[in-house]
Amino acid sequence: MARRDEEFPVDLPGHTVLGGHPLRWASGAIATATLFLAATNAVAIDGWAAELEPTPAVARLNAATAWWRAATDRVGLGAPRAALHTEWKKAEAAHLPGQAAAEE
Amino acid sequence: MLFPTLTFGLFFLVVFTAAWAARDNEWRKIILLLASWVFYGAWDGRFVALLIGSAVLNWGTAALIARTDPEALGRRKALLTWGVIANLAILGFFKYYGFFLEQLGDLLRAGGVERDLPLMQVILPVGVSFFTFQGISYVVDVYKGRVPPAGLLDITLLMSFFPHLVAGPIVRAADLVPQFQARPRLERGMVAMALCLIVWGLFKKAVIASELATGFVDPVFNDPGAHGAADLIVAAYGYAVQIYCDFSAYSDMAIGLAALLGYRFPRNFDQPYRSASLQEFWRRWHISLSSWLRDYLYIDALGGNRGGVAYICRNLAITMLLGGLWHGAKWTFVIWGGLHGLVLGAERLWREYRPQGWPGLPRWLTILFTFHIVVLGWIFFRAPTFADAAAYLAGFGRGWGALTATPLALVLIAFGLAMHFAPPRLMPAIALQLRRLPAAAAGLAVGVAILIIDAMRFEGVAPFIYYQF
Repeated sequence: MARRDEEFPVDLPGHTVLGGHPLRWASGAIATATLFLAATNAVAIDGWAAELEPTPAVARLNAATAWWRAATDRVGLGAPRAALHTEWKKAEAAHLPGQAAAEE
Repeated sequence: MLFPTLTFGLFFLVVFTAAWAARDNEWRKIILLLASWVFYGAWDGRFVALLIGSAVLNWGTAALIARTDPEALGRRKALLTWGVIANLAILGFFKYYGFFLEQLGDLLRAGGVERDLPLMQVILPVGVSFFTFQGISYVVDVYKGRVPPAGLLDITLLMSFFPHLVAGPIVRAADLVPQFQARPRLERGMVAMALCLIVWGLFKKAVIASELATGFVDPVFNDPGAHGAADLIVAAYGYAVQIYCDFSAYSDMAIGLAALLGYRFPRNFDQPYRSASLQEFWRRWHISLSSWLRDYLYIDALGGNRGGVAYICRNLAITMLLGGLWHGAKWTFVIWGGLHGLVLGAERLWREYRPQGWPGLPRWLTILFTFHIVVLGWIFFRAPTFADAAAYLAGFGRGWGALTATPLALVLIAFGLAMHFAPPRLMPAIALQLRRLPAAAAGLAVGVAILIIDAMRFEGVAPFIYYQF
């Protein structure tokens, strides 16, 4: 009942051996993505912290995430996400011409 | 703990670090097992005991079968029967107790007998259908000599492993236990593909499925009487896209997360809406369930294709009816399964008795026909009750009415259908490019993609549809 290799989607065709340790490469990629998101998406971190069950520790966490959000916003790191989110909300709110008339 | 949340992201970072820090494979498996129990316990800690009990049950039964003299067929069969019944009893109690008692009550009332039945509110443990099927397949595979019996740690981890635990894919012992035997080795291509699958799954769930569900599909299905045929038709297509994007997203992320920990899961979806028959659809949709039903129910239990055409059609119908019931204790699921069984039987009859010389239909037409059969089935699958499904279908004859779908919903539906006709090797091609990048560049690409998805995602994350199964 062994399966054929192509049934495992993470097995890519060809076995090109690239330089560097794969685990180091994976860890580096994950760490970079994490740091990038922590810097550019502080609003999500702050929102997540705000939804945690309130305890004294969570209150301290909330203060820290709010400070981090303000700090990243001050230097403009949160701007790309905010701009894209605004455009997406506009797309969500858009209606076909007839629909707008029907609602009125 | 839902995959597309920061809580899960942090949890996974800790597990990834701890698992790869462990030099010894046995300790690594123990870490993954404890992490899986923490993951499962986040829903309801009580059911971790059920998960452990189920694993011990299947490990013990398989070990006894393997230790029994191969000539003692009766004893081996009795052990197999015990193992299967015990698994089905767990599933039956948690999933079908209330349903069957309700039906019994209705039946007794219809016969003029009024009885107080021992009704109670049974909480459905998340993922119980998945891990019991996994347990059954392990016991049957050991009985049939397809896999050797495994150690308790391996079986417990097989059944508890958090990436597949709550909504599949149903990973069999033959696939995963051999991978547990040694500390896994990562490959750069495997990591690149894993990252692509996680990002793609996140997009399908957080953007397409959530947006369609909240913005259009749910309001129409919740009140079909208030909508005209245009809305009902588009919402049915919308649900087809939503359920695909929801469920395949979970599978993609599960496969990607397992790969980052060094383990390979089998494919679970393969562009199902490009199928030219229902038989092909089931080779592309929820592949781990359809192959499970084929191997253990259709072939092992019912005899497969060994009899005549009528026998085959009967087996198809039974398999699909039970497949429907597997999804939940509701008549709408039974009807959904019955419809699939009926059409699979009709396809079989057509193949057997099609007059010679009749031209075949063009592939695009059979794809269109198959898709609409599937969409019809989804209406029953999605509707809360049979009456709701009937009201929904009756609405098709009510007049066109105004279309309330927003342009965004229409674009997402079109995109969700179009992705079925993208080149099948597109994702591996992207992963091949990603693996050539330095780690920082690859991480940056993944980070940018997740940031874009997060900016587009609907507020909050609804649970995956298949969590309820």
